[in-house]
Amino acid sequence: MKDNLKIAWRNLWRNSRRTLITAASVFFGVFFAVFMSSLQVGSFKNMVDNMVRFYSGYIQIQGEGFRENRSLNQSFVAGKSLDSLVHLQKAVTQTTQRIESFTLASFGNNSSPAMIFGIQPEKEEAISGVSKWLSAGTFLQPGSKDILLGKQLAENLGVSVGDTAALIGQGYHGLSAAGIYKVAGLLDFPLPELNRRIVYMNLATCQDFFSMPDRITSYVIMIDEVGHLKKTVASIRPSLNNELRIYSWEDLQPQLVNLIEGKLAAGKFIKGLLFMIIGFGVWATVIMMMYERKRELGVMIALGFQKTRIFIMLVIEAMLIGLIGVIAGIVVSYPLVRYLFYNPVHVTGKMAETYRSMGFEPLIAFGKDTGVFLMPALTIFIIFTIIAFYQMWFVARLKTVDALHI
Amino acid sequence: MNVIEIKNLVKIYNSGEVKVKAVNGITTHFEQGEFTAVVGPSGSGKTTFLNMIGGLDRPTEGEVIIDGSNIWNLTSRQIIDFRMNNIGFVFQAYNLIPVLTAGENVEFIMHLQGKPKKEREQRTKELLEAVGIGDRIKSRPGKLSGGQQQRVAVARALASKPKFILADEPTANLDSVATTGLLELMAEMNKKYNTTFIFATHDQRVMDKARRIITIEDGKILNDEKFDR
Repeated sequence: MKDNLKIAWRNLWRNSRRTLITAASVFFGVFFAVFMSSLQVGSFKNMVDNMVRFYSGYIQIQGEGFRENRSLNQSFVAGKSLDSLVHLQKAVTQTTQRIESFTLASFGNNSSPAMIFGIQPEKEEAISGVSKWLSAGTFLQPGSKDILLGKQLAENLGVSVGDTAALIGQGYHGLSAAGIYKVAGLLDFPLPELNRRIVYMNLATCQDFFSMPDRITSYVIMIDEVGHLKKTVASIRPSLNNELRIYSWEDLQPQLVNLIEGKLAAGKFIKGLLFMIIGFGVWATVIMMMYERKRELGVMIALGFQKTRIFIMLVIEAMLIGLIGVIAGIVVSYPLVRYLFYNPVHVTGKMAETYRSMGFEPLIAFGKDTGVFLMPALTIFIIFTIIAFYQMWFVARLKTVDALHI
Repeated sequence: MNVIEIKNLVKIYNSGEVKVKAVNGITTHFEQGEFTAVVGPSGSGKTTFLNMIGGLDRPTEGEVIIDGSNIWNLTSRQIIDFRMNNIGFVFQAYNLIPVLTAGENVEFIMHLQGKPKKEREQRTKELLEAVGIGDRIKSRPGKLSGGQQQRVAVARALASKPKFILADEPTANLDSVATTGLLELMAEMNKKYNTTFIFATHDQRVMDKARRIITIEDGKILNDEKFDR
């Protein structure tokens, strides 16, 4: 093996320019693939984190049928046993309870349909940081019976901070829900739909409004990292009673999943093309390296070198080129990706507005997961493994006497 | 004592629809310590004959018996091992491995044979000194003249202590000074190690040194003469 490695290494530098050009093509492939993957991973994580924090949480427990019907009749009581079960999971970092429903908001002669969120202000704040969207007034205090309105909704109703708005709707099991509430503050969300519709109030106030004491529609769970999602869901699911369902963010936001999968597929296609071009380049080099040394390989076999050793030597040569390219690619891309991970690019101007209007932070984030570096390296390894089959075929067909008389 | 016994060796090449008999029923034998030239015009079949003796080209018919067994009954892997342990090759174009130094080229086969490092190094040094280029042990082939490269090739051929050495036109690429030097060297090695040398050649200077000359024409032995030299 040591000899094979020595001969292979020296063979690489017989035509150093060609070796360096081939290794450089691998290097650029790895570098761009790492950069692209890092950008994709970072962007998607940021996107998911924004959406998950803002709306669904990583995991939600709901009553059976609530996801489909959004009916308060599918609400449930989150007892201590559910709390204990959830907090037993190591990955769980935060939880909060919500009521999500619909109502009619009214002020004077104006009225508008509204989306009502009954929240636990401190816990909700820790998860979604909703107070950062406060544009006027104060945030909900624990025990307060006030409400927060979306800025556009307030404008449509003609209501200001300190005014009292009426909410009218249908409560639990068809009971009438009606009440008047002081507007404590206005929220200016980047999403127009939220601005036009949202009403926040304390969970207890909401339970009282809908005549559903102790009941909630959603139990929101945050975890330390998305990698623990499936395990946590799988661990909680068997212990839930028949009336409860557990969903991951992917179940709750399928449109986001589709968006990410579509973009990932496009990224994979581009990376696939990139590696295909590199693969053919490397293959061409390998073919040249083998054909120009056909006589030499014939001599080696004539002298007693078994074909398997010739094959191993050729594979080592090709792999060394790949290894040089991969190592260089990772060594150069890692510091850059790491820097961008800790210093994401902040988007400004109209682009920033577009980001905000979609509910995302206006920044280009990067990821530095192991997979970002591992996948290009693995792809190169697969390319070289395929090339190794060609080398095996070449060596198997090599006739010593023909090779000697080229 | 016979080193090689050849029985009715035939090689037919298919050239399109035409069948060419390159070697046509040669039967002969070679003894230990022979210094033999196989001569004949181009296309007479001498290289094919040597290739079949050397386990490089499978005969269509016939046997190459070495140590009592037909080498062509061995598997491909066994033939490669057989060549490594029993046959030395000297080629017309030297065919040294360009990325290895002169010393490493000589050591190469011994390494394949699994000889210990100390023995390999000692024999490499001894052989390169014997062929007159002990001072070029660390030079790569590209830094050596044609004559020097062929000397390294002779040392490499002797390195595995083979039963015989097959040399196909070894002087074809050398000038007269290098040819004379190389022939004297091979004659000396033949005497010193009692190794059988079989040449395929056109070169009169090789024929003048040979103690046996086999003349081949149209794949058959036309003449087989021995000389006292």
